[in-house]
Amino acid sequence: MSKTIIDVQNISKIFKITKRKTGFKGALANIFHPEHEYKKAVNDISFNIKEGEMVGFIGPNGAGKSTTVKMLSGILYPDSGNINISGYIPHKQRKEYVANIGVVFGQKSQISWDLSPLDSYEVIKHIYKIPDKKYKENIERFTELLDMRKFINQPVRQLSLGQRMRADIAAALLHSPKIVFFDEPTIGIDVVGKEKIRSFIKTLNKTDNITMIFTTHDMQDIEKTCERLIIIDDGKKLYDGSLDAIKSNYVSSRIIEAEFEQLPEKIDIPYVTVSDVDKNRMKKVITFDTGKTSINSLMSTLLNNYSIKDISVKEPEIDAIISDIYQGKIIVH
Amino acid sequence: MSTYIQFAAIKFRNNMAYRFEYIMGILNTVLSFLVYWCIYKALYGGANEIDGITFSMVTTNFIISLGLTNAFSKNEMFLQDKIKQGTIANELLKPVNFKFRMLFEDLGDGFFKVVFNFLPAVIIAMLFTEMMPPAGIFGFVLCLVSAVLGYIVLWYISFIVQTLAFWLFNVWGLITIKNVIVNIFSGALLPLWFMPQPVLNIIKFTPFDSIFFTPVQLYLGQLQGYEILLNFGRQVLWIAILYFIGELLWNKGIKRLIVQGG
Repeated sequence: MSKTIIDVQNISKIFKITKRKTGFKGALANIFHPEHEYKKAVNDISFNIKEGEMVGFIGPNGAGKSTTVKMLSGILYPDSGNINISGYIPHKQRKEYVANIGVVFGQKSQISWDLSPLDSYEVIKHIYKIPDKKYKENIERFTELLDMRKFINQPVRQLSLGQRMRADIAAALLHSPKIVFFDEPTIGIDVVGKEKIRSFIKTLNKTDNITMIFTTHDMQDIEKTCERLIIIDDGKKLYDGSLDAIKSNYVSSRIIEAEFEQLPEKIDIPYVTVSDVDKNRMKKVITFDTGKTSINSLMSTLLNNYSIKDISVKEPEIDAIISDIYQGKIIVH
Repeated sequence: MSTYIQFAAIKFRNNMAYRFEYIMGILNTVLSFLVYWCIYKALYGGANEIDGITFSMVTTNFIISLGLTNAFSKNEMFLQDKIKQGTIANELLKPVNFKFRMLFEDLGDGFFKVVFNFLPAVIIAMLFTEMMPPAGIFGFVLCLVSAVLGYIVLWYISFIVQTLAFWLFNVWGLITIKNVIVNIFSGALLPLWFMPQPVLNIIKFTPFDSIFFTPVQLYLGQLQGYEILLNFGRQVLWIAILYFIGELLWNKGIKRLIVQGG
């Protein structure tokens, strides 16, 4: 059984926001009588993560994901609560602590705009005092895994977003950290690029036993890489558990997609909702609850009463489930 | 330590990349020196000395102050820009002391300017003005040591103003005001010999005269015996006080840091 490496207890972070009034009168008012409000960006969140675990962190924009990651990285001070990561208190022992972690911010590049990735890596080598042998091994390995050979000597400003992100990820991992935080590493990246990043992250998690936290808006990222999922919204933790558990415990609805040969006048089956997919209305999506309607009887009703060309049963998309959770349609605990 | 020297070396190398700027830097130094020289030439009106201060002493004061100003130039918007753009997050993720890193980057810049701007400019200035030689090897060494201490005093004053960006976000105005105050009270604009006594009495309680004026006096051999110790003592004391204030502001500021964007 692996040991707990990240221990977070009841952390909160409050931001003071200046309310800006618009217009000339508002600007004057801002100078003489500024109004503030306080926003709890993170509100009493606790969790534990074990060594080698890979945890997905999701939540809508402004949920407090990035703020949590920044507190875990030692950049921000929590207003209350305790963080203990691998024996360090991040914000108090910042300098010693950050030598042991890697952080990738999807929206902030860490490598120099004017230098090539390789030049930036040389600087990083000095900052982290990476031994020559390990440095060479890591560069070799990352270049291969992230497919960087083509652009490793080009100035960063000439790289595409996907290339830059891969270079950034390699930069954050050069010193072989045992814990890595990814804050939206796939933001704005095309499908192929995302796939490269996901497989790299997964490989590293498996082979090097690196503990990872991964924030994202793309549920595909989570499905393909993480076993555990933490959902936060409005600064609070909504769910902490496996992705499969969400699907099996909280989602009893299924979807049948059916293509009819003749347009049915009306489909009238209790507890079932029917919606159109395309304009010619030959294709219908039938949503039902497995607790109320048995799939057997529904299928036979459909097949016996209508002439159907094609039929398939699906689980709802994970995106739909998550959006239901965000909107409070599904209550998880 | 080697990591920090690396930061200084990178800055030094970055400066080398801009050759045109380097030539303009020499020109700029020579020109501003010439302007001061002409103004004081006119003020002296052919006289050799005023109030016991010779024209060559004034010239020497300007050459040394200008040289030190050059060496002391730094990117004073560094912290503000990092806070405003949120890139301070990346800096805090590096296992280095942020202040030392800033200091060493500025040292790298300063060293470049001394070697490539100041020294050529001094050589040019010495050809056609009456700069005095240092008062002996001992005086010169003392001047160098005190110039380093003066640098640290000035650096910490700048650092303190910069840390106010944690609260104010925009400190450009404060930096400008600080620069004017430093220029006047340090003797960089008007040699402190010419300051009225009441003003000098106030300056004695500020760190400003220990920036340029102490090295100038040591260079000229104007300080003797216990005065030398007293002046070094004042420099060290001011560094201690400023360090303490800087540390306090930094620790308070970093706690209320808000990382902008993303």
